[in-house]
Amino acid sequence: MTANTIYTAIFLATCATYLCRAMGVFSAKNINTNSPVFNWIKCVSIGIISAVISKIILFPAGILSETESESRIVATIVTLLAYFLFKKNVIFGIFAGVTTFLLMNFYF
Amino acid sequence: MFSLISFRQGVSHAFGVPALGLGSSMFAFGAYLKSSGFDLFQSFASSFFTFALPGQFVMAETMLAGGTFLNIFLAVLLTNARLFPMTVNLIPIIRHSSHSKWKYYFLAHFIAVTSWFNMFAVHKQLQQQNKFDYFLGLGGFLWFNAVICTMLGFSISHLVSHEFLIGLVFINPIYFLIMTVSNLNEKKLTTSVILGAVFSFILYQYTPEWSVLIAGIASGTLSFFIFKKENNDS
Repeated sequence: MTANTIYTAIFLATCATYLCRAMGVFSAKNINTNSPVFNWIKCVSIGIISAVISKIILFPAGILSETESESRIVATIVTLLAYFLFKKNVIFGIFAGVTTFLLMNFYF
Repeated sequence: MFSLISFRQGVSHAFGVPALGLGSSMFAFGAYLKSSGFDLFQSFASSFFTFALPGQFVMAETMLAGGTFLNIFLAVLLTNARLFPMTVNLIPIIRHSSHSKWKYYFLAHFIAVTSWFNMFAVHKQLQQQNKFDYFLGLGGFLWFNAVICTMLGFSISHLVSHEFLIGLVFINPIYFLIMTVSNLNEKKLTTSVILGAVFSFILYQYTPEWSVLIAGIASGTLSFFIFKKENNDS
């Protein structure tokens, strides 16, 4: 893998990513926040994000794929429980989730 | 006119949990790039210019797997396609007549899941003319933090254990999950989230590359039409 290959890959990734953002700005120019289109896009956006989270937790790539799927699912449930039990405290939610995840993978 | 106060408020919002949520994964990504043969400047360039972690990861993975440049471009385009509806959704929230159009093309670089959610969480409390500068502070700081954390991950990840690194990577999806849940103030959004997760799981069995995009569009569209009356009433 040469340096030129890596730089070209970074350049292409940048173009592909910015294209999505720029098209978004361009398409947004005639949309106002009370329109049905705006509400539909909001539903789609949050649906896509939910799908991304689901994919990362259930079918991860990279080093997360070295871990047990049960640990990721249980830790996700614990995260949500802790978040709601501790009055929607984000720190507690994350701490409980990560701790459960690490304990299940490396100590049990 | 630029509002330094709003900009600072945006930075202050990003500082803390949002920066930790994103930065932890960027740190692990920096470590991954090092193990994949990138150098420090290339790692810096990836986060500086792209600033969208799933796409950055796919770029490196596709390249390491021997994919062509066209493969890389299409894979990243597909992975980061979520940024299109997110941007369409965020710009009307921020828009103000005092800003020229080109500025939004600059600001768009800072739109990512973390900044998007955090902006949506507070935008109703901000005055319209201050939202642009607030988001510049919020998104700009998260971007800056992502670049620094990528470089830190590249440089010092050998000092932390493999288990710790895996724990850091896991922070990102659960932080996204909490942000998602905290924004569910309408039935149609809750339905979108549940259907998006279920559809993603099912579709992954048949078309892993397209599963996220199809699941998101299908769940969002279905929820929108199920709660069409609610949309008309609001």
